[in-house]
Amino acid sequence: MPSVSNTPLITNEVAVSVRNLGLTYTTAIDRRPTLKARLKSFGGKQTRTIRALDDVNLDIEYGQVLGVIGTNGAGKSSLMRVIAGILPPSQGRVEVYGSVSTLLALGVGFNPAMSGRDNVLLGGLAAGMSRKEIEQHFDEIADFSELGEAIDSPMRTYSSGMYARLAFSVAATVRPDILIVDEALSTGDAKFKEKSLNRIKELRSEDRALILVSHAMRTLRETCNDIAWLHKGKLIQRGEPNTVIDAYQEFLHLGKSAVVDEDL
Amino acid sequence: MSAPLQVYEPFRAGLPPLGRYWKSLWARRTFISQYSKSELREQHFDSVFGQLWLVLNPLLLSAVYFLLIVIIGGSSDSTRYGHLTASLFLFYLVSNSLTGGVKSVTAGQRLILNTAFPRIMLPISATIIALFKFIPTLLVFLVMRTIIGLPFGWEMLWAIPVFFITMLFALGVAITISCVNVYFRDITSFLPYLTRTLLYLSPILYEASSLSPKLRALEIFNPLFPILDSWSKAVVHSQVPETSSMLQGLAWALVIFLVGTYFFLSREREFAVRL
Repeated sequence: MPSVSNTPLITNEVAVSVRNLGLTYTTAIDRRPTLKARLKSFGGKQTRTIRALDDVNLDIEYGQVLGVIGTNGAGKSSLMRVIAGILPPSQGRVEVYGSVSTLLALGVGFNPAMSGRDNVLLGGLAAGMSRKEIEQHFDEIADFSELGEAIDSPMRTYSSGMYARLAFSVAATVRPDILIVDEALSTGDAKFKEKSLNRIKELRSEDRALILVSHAMRTLRETCNDIAWLHKGKLIQRGEPNTVIDAYQEFLHLGKSAVVDEDL
Repeated sequence: MSAPLQVYEPFRAGLPPLGRYWKSLWARRTFISQYSKSELREQHFDSVFGQLWLVLNPLLLSAVYFLLIVIIGGSSDSTRYGHLTASLFLFYLVSNSLTGGVKSVTAGQRLILNTAFPRIMLPISATIIALFKFIPTLLVFLVMRTIIGLPFGWEMLWAIPVFFITMLFALGVAITISCVNVYFRDITSFLPYLTRTLLYLSPILYEASSLSPKLRALEIFNPLFPILDSWSKAVVHSQVPETSSMLQGLAWALVIFLVGTYFFLSREREFAVRL
């Protein structure tokens, strides 16, 4: 197991403060909200309430690299979306001090009909960069993506690996105060995975807060200096990476088998 | 730390802080134009044939409607043809904004779920796309009206305020319909009938002046009626449009824009959950 070589950079300056956060979705049983469905269910409305987050308290400080773990449906992505301001909370309060950039899905804002070059601009603008910033970093992005000549062909001709590589390269250029990455590290082949992980490690600094959502426990042990474990919308444990991850793996009844520790 | 503080709390129905909203929308103006361009590209309107089709389509349409007028026995002089074409082109600006706007929010699902940005950007870009499609047709009309010998005059400049009223109306319509579509997805199937009805109720196939006073009184409920009437007066007849028509059009455009924007802004924080 790799030793935790993460120098504690924590500055005690709060980046994100989450207080008593609750989030409930009300989803209709009908898949599509239509006028017809609304008229049919007139009177008795058929809905199902899902409690995605339940009384979550969490402070994230500048300099912290927080890993968020939990089984599928634990509320990890919901929490990220609330912090990013995409979903409004149902209860509680979230304070965010600084600019937030999200890497929740790769290639957001990309248009397959356009060339890779145009999409760098489009994706960068979608991520909140200015045109000038993107133009300044263009060579860096193109280099990092290792696309070579392909950068000028339309993106619909790309393989999914190429697509993901360009998307990650664009996203990794944004330099926000708070960066939220949701399982975007497992893209491309092993070599590119390594490269993108290194990029994330480079982004660690004392004036930045990083939040990583991942199922790759080894990556988290290597990168993070703090782990939060969510289960069914509740914060179960928060603390030093090895302790929390061990407890989580214990919980999964899987132990520390090589398979679990391996990046999935 | 001079970083901006953002607070997210359960929202009550109502508007978000407008100053901040406008600021973040303005900061994304490059994104809006780039996003619109890429959508246009996707519809192949950047190629020569795409542009040609853009002009050819309304031109052919106006020819078909002109044929219809001749057959059902109306006057068929060149002024009539000019009126028909000019009105049809402006009508298509509104109708393209409507049909493009209806799916703008639901089609932007990936964007909405993964990034925080002022959602109103999506219907705005739909209107910009409609505008891009309108510009070449306007040029075609200018060439055409020279050929068929319609009068030129400074009164034609009245087309400029009329155009801005139309844009405001088109934008308001796009914002409203995109918001409605989030809650009632089947609105898309009604849309062709709505645009068709508007087309026939508006002074396109006929001139506003040829309508009986009784019918004309009812047209107060059609926002496009005063707008298209003023447009035709300015660009076809080179006359000063009636002030009452202009004001009526402006009032309609303002009401639809403000009501639609209010609904959109007070609802948009919920969109991520509704998609």
